[in-house]
Amino acid sequence: MQSVNSISRRSALRATAALALAAAPATPAASPRLKQAVCRGPWRKFTLDELCQHCVRIGIKGIDLVDHTEWPTIQKYGLMPSMTPGAGNIPDCWNRLDNHENLVKQMEENIPRAAAAGVPNVITFSGNRKGMPDGEGLENCAKGLNRVTRLAEEKGVTINLELLNSKVNHKDYMADHTAWGVELCKRVGSPRLKLLYDIYHMQIMEGDVIRTIRDNFAFLGHYHTGGVPGRHEIDESQELNYRAIAKAIADLGFTDYLAHEFSPTAPDQIKSLEKAYEICNV
Amino acid sequence: MFCDSIVYGMLTRRSLLRTAAAAPLAASAADTGGRIKQSVCRWCYSKISLDDLCQAAQRIGLKGIDLVDHTDWPTVQKYGLVPSMTPGAGNIPDCWNRLDNHEKLVQQMQENIPRAAAAGVPNVITFSGNRKGMPDGEGLANCVTGLNRVKKLAEEKGVTINLELLNSKVNHKDYMADHTAWGVELMKRVDSPRVKLLYDIYHMQIMEGDIIRTIRDNFAYLGHFHTGGNPGRHELDDTQELNWRAIATAIADLGYQGYFAHEFIPISKEPLVSLEQAYKTCKV
Repeated sequence: MQSVNSISRRSALRATAALALAAAPATPAASPRLKQAVCRGPWRKFTLDELCQHCVRIGIKGIDLVDHTEWPTIQKYGLMPSMTPGAGNIPDCWNRLDNHENLVKQMEENIPRAAAAGVPNVITFSGNRKGMPDGEGLENCAKGLNRVTRLAEEKGVTINLELLNSKVNHKDYMADHTAWGVELCKRVGSPRLKLLYDIYHMQIMEGDVIRTIRDNFAFLGHYHTGGVPGRHEIDESQELNYRAIAKAIADLGFTDYLAHEFSPTAPDQIKSLEKAYEICNV
Repeated sequence: MFCDSIVYGMLTRRSLLRTAAAAPLAASAADTGGRIKQSVCRWCYSKISLDDLCQAAQRIGLKGIDLVDHTDWPTVQKYGLVPSMTPGAGNIPDCWNRLDNHEKLVQQMQENIPRAAAAGVPNVITFSGNRKGMPDGEGLANCVTGLNRVKKLAEEKGVTINLELLNSKVNHKDYMADHTAWGVELMKRVDSPRVKLLYDIYHMQIMEGDIIRTIRDNFAYLGHFHTGGNPGRHELDDTQELNWRAIATAIADLGYQGYFAHEFIPISKEPLVSLEQAYKTCKV
């Protein structure tokens, strides 16, 4: 556990950061129903400090996919590292038994570290098929994840296995449909194993977004966004009505983060992020 | 909306502009229309007489009425509208995927295609039929066999046969033509410019998503479109998950010449207002 001292130091820093930014023109809405986050990757042309400052001003609460070396910077602004490395990578992960030893080790390092820093989520994957039948991959994933769910439960950190499209961006990825992921969660049966439902990826693979979210809400731990087709702005230029989707998620009482993960095409990438925030601010 | 004009003094410049923009549409007899010809399905407005629906369609700017029997065509045409989709052969559960049905289906097409042609009606509708345990490959082969018997007539008469894609997850359990890929494979095998797919956006969003890419990749095989909010099949408004304007824009950008027909069940108390809103949303 953390000492009382370091907690108060952190909240003091947060208060200072908030004060410093109180003069910013746009004040975020009082208490939005949905906590929004942003993935670090697409906004890499900004320093982490710059991105954090924009997030605070916009009303964004977290930064996704950030390494532990970056957490202090994020937390300095009162933001949450909302999704962090867990184990493995997209093509090589839990669906192969050979990987398990290595993956368990990574989780044993990453889960306690996340817990110690008050970080709620770690990310993981299925791995690619490489000719393996989905049923066999499912069994292997269940076996592997069963070795780390107790640790996640004890530490209060959620393992999020990401659903990705295998049609356009991640050919051969196994966890490419919600049904497969939900079956995995049911077999593992831990409140600390959930799916990262990436709306962009799942619109490409299966559509029926709102119904799928409603029907499987208990198994969905986190969301990513992105315009379809193209993975750009989530505005009127693409086929999904993100505001309705965000409303449906908020109506279900979702308490984790909805994180933007699109590559902005507009010259002002921060404006694109602001607009995405407004669209999903329900 | 209308109360804006009552509290005129309170109008901001923006709402004044909005009112000004809306005024010509509200007052005019017919909208000049956007790049896409829009249409509406008759059955969704069954409480309204066909004459009333046609008058509303004309006023709104719609160009056609979908799913109307030949006895209704004179009424539709009286208003300068096109019966944009009409009965072809079979029904949703029983159609071309069973060889036993072919004789009867061919007869229906031999009656309906020439009648459509004679009246200047561009489209007839048909279906795959339900699976009832039949493998998709076998159903595909049977559909090819059957449609091959009527495509020449359709080509000669200049009428397009549209086989509809429907969802088998929520509304039409067990329907075979429930994915674009299956339908496109059928189109490739039949290989006629007069046999196309009716791509129902509502149904395909339920089954497979990826709407704009799918339309772009398979545009040559798509003869007609239907709409409907998802989930629920109601208004194309901000409560449902699709951005219809972006989809309509993508279709218009492809140079689509057919009809784009609204097939949602309005839940508002003013169904014709819902229809007009859908028209405006998709007018690109």
